[in-house]
Amino acid sequence: MKKILLAAIIITAFAACKKNPVIPAADLGGGQVFDPSVYNPAKYLVSAANPTPNASDALKPVIIACHGYSATTFEWDEFRAWSAGRTDYFISQVLLAGHGTTYADFKAATWHNWQASIAAEYNTLVSEGYKNINFAASSTSCPLILDMIHAGFFNNTGTTVHIFLVDPIIIPADKNLSLIGILGPMLGYITSNNAPGEEKYYYHYRPQESLQQLQDVLNVARNELQDGFTLPKNVYLKVYKSIKDPTADPVSAVLIYNGIKTYNGGHIGIDLINSNIHVFTRLSLVPDVTARDKANQVYAFNDITTQIFQ
Amino acid sequence: MAGVNKSLTHAKNDTMKKGIYLMIMLAGAGLSCANAQSSVLDLGVRLQKTVNLYSENGIAVSYSDKGLLADRLYFGASYATSRLGTAFHSNAIKQDNYLVSAAWFFRRDHVIRPFVRANGGYFSASYGGKIFDVLPHSSPLLSSDLGISFQTGLPVKIATSLGYNFITGNGLSGPGTLFPVFYQLTVSWNLFDHAKINRHERLARKLKL
Repeated sequence: MKKILLAAIIITAFAACKKNPVIPAADLGGGQVFDPSVYNPAKYLVSAANPTPNASDALKPVIIACHGYSATTFEWDEFRAWSAGRTDYFISQVLLAGHGTTYADFKAATWHNWQASIAAEYNTLVSEGYKNINFAASSTSCPLILDMIHAGFFNNTGTTVHIFLVDPIIIPADKNLSLIGILGPMLGYITSNNAPGEEKYYYHYRPQESLQQLQDVLNVARNELQDGFTLPKNVYLKVYKSIKDPTADPVSAVLIYNGIKTYNGGHIGIDLINSNIHVFTRLSLVPDVTARDKANQVYAFNDITTQIFQ
Repeated sequence: MAGVNKSLTHAKNDTMKKGIYLMIMLAGAGLSCANAQSSVLDLGVRLQKTVNLYSENGIAVSYSDKGLLADRLYFGASYATSRLGTAFHSNAIKQDNYLVSAAWFFRRDHVIRPFVRANGGYFSASYGGKIFDVLPHSSPLLSSDLGISFQTGLPVKIATSLGYNFITGNGLSGPGTLFPVFYQLTVSWNLFDHAKINRHERLARKLKL
């Protein structure tokens, strides 16, 4: 028995040791391609672009747009492009910790680090005097923000905080993620099937450590939703969810809808979108985009930028 | 010399013990044979947990016919639900698993018996709002599990196993809370067991162990 155990340990250790991928220099994670917000934060973060807002700007809505697991600020670039010419609100694109840089950074970051990037931009904006701060979150940023709500992060906010969740993930579509704690150490990393061009903006190699972090935050959010919680008085929450989603199972929307009540005890807002794209608001580099997909995207952008004024 | 005598005494005692067991076995042979030919009907409680998702509990029944590979081939049915698990007094999704199964139990007449089982059935989830009717909420079930059964001194069987669902949700089709790997524990009572037969059987097993 001891020999079998020893052999199993040696095999596991050997399997785990050989897992460090060779990443092409042209791809994200290879050490040469970085998210542009790393070089030019003022172009992406409102807190860096305008750290001393005048009275008028301080009252304008700021939408903190935060991306999903393995992605970058690229995920919300189309929202910024669509908003070109609008001067009545600001978009602040946050890069989550460990993302948009190197494989080693990705491997080392925890979900608390990811969450801290969102909280840091919010806190900086508050300290700079911004009074109307909102969120547009996609995929993994959604459980991160839900956990912030649950932890009371927004309990003392003086103004309404609008939070829009686009294709939130609580339950992964790929159910093998549930086995990452067992299989991960043997695999080292897994690869993703990015579409052509996406390798510059989405990590191709996903270290098992970061996948375990993903599984952890999904479990945390799911358990919080199971117990149920109520939104603080000034927080408005709306979910947009593709009814078919190869990454974030649509049942995630059910768990959020059933798990959260508004301050008055009502249901949160929800829109089920007739789409089979994960993060249907990002169509750039998505193959075979249809007219319906474009209409869905515009619908969400219009709805978000209307709701923030209500 | 005294030691040799002692050894002889021990040997005699052992021989006597074995003789008594043998006699009891022979005396109970008829009953034991009757038991070997009798059917088994286990009724019990099933406690199930899906890896990184819900606990789902319910009931299980299994039957082995005396005329068909008695106490080896079992046919069963079970019902496990999150309503009696994670979804009890929580916002977890209420879901039901209805299974029928065929199992093969190895090492007949032993206390610890490995088994392998094939399961098929139906899964249904309730999302709690008409708005979600558009999402898939039911699916056929197809799974297999491997486990170990422990026959206690009472007509109580404790069986635990690790199972794999071959059909799961994938975001595009199938219910989202149908996950691949589960483990379960079933504690069951043999309704066809008779106390007398069981006593002789236990004595017989002591020798086989």
